[in-house]
Amino acid sequence: MREVAWRLFASEYNDASLELDGGGERAPSYVVTPLGAKVNRVFVVGVITDVENVGSDAQPMWRARISDPTGTFHVYAGQYQPEAAATLSKLKPPVFGAIVGKSRVYSPESGAVYTSIRPERVKAVDETVRDYWILEACRSLQKRLDAMAEAQKMDPLTVEALVKIGVKAAIADGIVQAVSHYGKVDLSRYTAMLAEGLRYLLPEYREPVGLGEPAPEPAPAAHEEPASEPDESEATVLEIIATLDKDGKGAPWEGILEAATSRRVPKDALEESINSLLDKGLIYEPILGRMKKI
Amino acid sequence: MHDITRALGDKVSEQEIERELSSYLNVYRVSLDTAKRSIVKKHGGNPATLAVGVSKTLRELVPGEQSVNLLVRIVSVNEKDVTVEGETKRILYGILGDPTTTIPFTAWEPLPVTLAKGDVVRVQNAYSKEYRGQVQVNFGFRTVVAKEAADALPEYKPGTGALYVGKPTPVRVVDLREGASNVQVTARILSVERREVEVDGTPKAVFSGVLADETGKTQFSAWKDFGLADGEAIRIDGAYVKTWRGIPQISFDERATITRLKPDLLPPLDVLSASPRMWIEDLAERGGAADVTVRGILIDLREGSGLVYRCPECRRVLRKGVCRLHGEVKGEPDLRVKAVLDDGSGALTAVFDRELTEALLDKTLDACIEAARNAMSTDVVRDELADVLVAQPIEVRGDVTSDDYGLMMIVASAKMLKVDVQTEAREMLEGLEGSA
Repeated sequence: MREVAWRLFASEYNDASLELDGGGERAPSYVVTPLGAKVNRVFVVGVITDVENVGSDAQPMWRARISDPTGTFHVYAGQYQPEAAATLSKLKPPVFGAIVGKSRVYSPESGAVYTSIRPERVKAVDETVRDYWILEACRSLQKRLDAMAEAQKMDPLTVEALVKIGVKAAIADGIVQAVSHYGKVDLSRYTAMLAEGLRYLLPEYREPVGLGEPAPEPAPAAHEEPASEPDESEATVLEIIATLDKDGKGAPWEGILEAATSRRVPKDALEESINSLLDKGLIYEPILGRMKKI
Repeated sequence: MHDITRALGDKVSEQEIERELSSYLNVYRVSLDTAKRSIVKKHGGNPATLAVGVSKTLRELVPGEQSVNLLVRIVSVNEKDVTVEGETKRILYGILGDPTTTIPFTAWEPLPVTLAKGDVVRVQNAYSKEYRGQVQVNFGFRTVVAKEAADALPEYKPGTGALYVGKPTPVRVVDLREGASNVQVTARILSVERREVEVDGTPKAVFSGVLADETGKTQFSAWKDFGLADGEAIRIDGAYVKTWRGIPQISFDERATITRLKPDLLPPLDVLSASPRMWIEDLAERGGAADVTVRGILIDLREGSGLVYRCPECRRVLRKGVCRLHGEVKGEPDLRVKAVLDDGSGALTAVFDRELTEALLDKTLDACIEAARNAMSTDVVRDELADVLVAQPIEVRGDVTSDDYGLMMIVASAKMLKVDVQTEAREMLEGLEGSA
C-alpha cells in the first residue's frame, strides 16, 4: 500500500525529533511529529526561496528551501533523485513550488535533529495551488490537534481507546508514539500556528509591511525562531532593500551600504542586521552581492 | 505415493516405493516432501515433477502462489497462438471451477492430455498471478496436469453454501466486508436486471444490480428470483459478501428471505443514487467500493500515462511495440492517465480513459499523435498532462477496486476543483476562535 502524503506545516515538521525505523530491509521509516503525524511521505507547496548546489559539479546535490507561513522546509536532491534534481536546478527562485517527497532525519550529534525532504517530484505551481495547500495543511493540523487534545485527557493512553472515540488506527498509533517520546506538548503553540495559517489566507489580516510597496505580502515567519519580527535597525535595512530592488533582481550591496550610511547605520550593524534577516528568512541572496526581500 | 509413481513412470513397482517411503518416513523421520524427492531422485526420476506445493481450493488462491495443487473441473477451454520472444507458440486458456468458485487459467506449455469442457483434472505445481484485479492460474513447464474421474469433484453450484446458523447480523452497506455471511441489509434497490450466466456448463439466471442505504451503494447478485423491482425498499436476511473484481458485493440465494418494507422507510431513489464522498483511508479499510466520489490532489503521474499503444488482440498496453501475451503486434493508439490521487488520508491509483483524458487535456487523441510525431517522442503528451494535472485538486467518481498493490479507481467522471479557500479558511478560523 502506498504511503499517504502528509500535508503539514514546516514548523511542526521541524519540531520533530522522533524517527521510527521500520526495521527490516523494505519496511518504511517514519518521522513522528509532536502532534503524532507519522510521516513517511510529504506533500508541500510553498515558496522556493533558493536553490543551491551544495555538492560538486561532478556529483551535484541540490539544496532548496521552501517556506510556508510557519517556517522553512529543507529539501535535498542528489543523483538518486534525477528528475527532482533536474527540475530543482532549473527553477528560478522565488517561485511557488509543489514537492512530493520522503521524510528524512539527520542527527549529526546527540541531541540535535534536523528534518529534511528527499523529493520524488518537484513542480512549479501558481498561488492558488499554494493557498489550497495551506487550507489542507490547516485541516490536517486541526484533526491532529483535536485528537491530541483527547489523547491528553486519557489515562492510560492506548491506541484502542483512541480508536474507540473514532480516531483511525494509523493516526492513533502516531499519537501514542508521540506522547511517549515528547510527553505532554503545549497545544497552544500549535493552535496559534493553525490560526496563523488560516489568517495568512485572509486579506483582512494582511498587514502592510515595508514602505512604498504596492502589494505587500506578509513576511513568512522564520525557521526555528517564532519571534521573527525584525528589530528597528533590521526594519530599516529591510526597507532599504525593498526600495533599492527596482529591477526585481535584488538590491546591490554597494547601494545598501550607501543608503545605510546616509541613515546613520554603521557598516558593522548593517552586516549584523543582514545576517539576522537572512537567518529569519526575511531576505535572501539571489546572486552574490545582491539582497532581495522575500 | 501416487505422486511418486507418476513421477517415476513404470520404472519401479508400487510395493517397492511403498517400502522405501515407509522407511524414509518412519525410520529416518524426514518430511514427506524430502522423502518423495529422495525416492524419485534415487530411481532416476525428475523431482521437479513432484507435487511440492500445497493443495488449495480455487477460493483460497491468492496472487503470487509459486506452487499450488488443485482439483478442478474445466469450465471452458480455448486455444490460441501467441508470439513470445519472436516465436509462435500455441497456448490454452479458459476457466477452471471447483465447488468454491471459478477462475481463469492459461497453459503456457503443451500438455500431455487433451483438455475438454467438463473434464476433472488434478493440477500440480501451478502458479498464480493477478490480472485486472482477479487471480489467474498459470500452468508452466513444472506443472503436471492429469485427468481424474468425473465424479472426483462435485458440480459447482454458486451460492449453495452451508446453511446459516443463528440470526442474521444487521450491517450497513458501508460496513460490508469480504467474507461476511448471514448478514441482514436494509436497502433500496436502485436497479436490477436478469442475466443468464453459464455455471459449469449449465445456464442459470442471476438477478444483479445495485442497491443502497444511507451509507453507500453496492452491487448485488441474487441467485434466486425474488421478483425484485427497481426502487423497492427491502430487508434481506441471510446474505453473504464476496469480492467480485476487487469490490466487495452482496450475494444472496434461496437461504435468504426478503421482506418488503414501506417505501418511505429509506431516503428516496435520487438521494440514494448520489455517489457518496469518501476518504481514501475508509476505502482502504473497506477494500474497494462501487460508485464513490473522492476529492484529492493528483500528486504524481505513473508510468504508462499519456499516449500509449495497445495490443489489438487483448488491449494490453504494449512495451516497445511488444505485447506481453501476443508478442510483436501493430499497436492501436490510445490516451490514458494513471495518476496517484492522494487526499491526505491515503492514496489510490486513478485511471482515466481516453475520453476523460481528452477532456482534461482539452486535446483530441489525433492532436496528441500529431504532437508526438512532431516531437518524435510520446513524452510530450505525458509532460503536458503532468503540467495540467500534477499538484491540482480534483474530484473523481467511479468504482474503487482493491488488490495487493493497493486501491485503484476506474474514473467514470472527473472535474478539477475550484475551492473558495477564503470562505473555508474564515469558517475554520471562526470555529477556532469560538472554541478558544
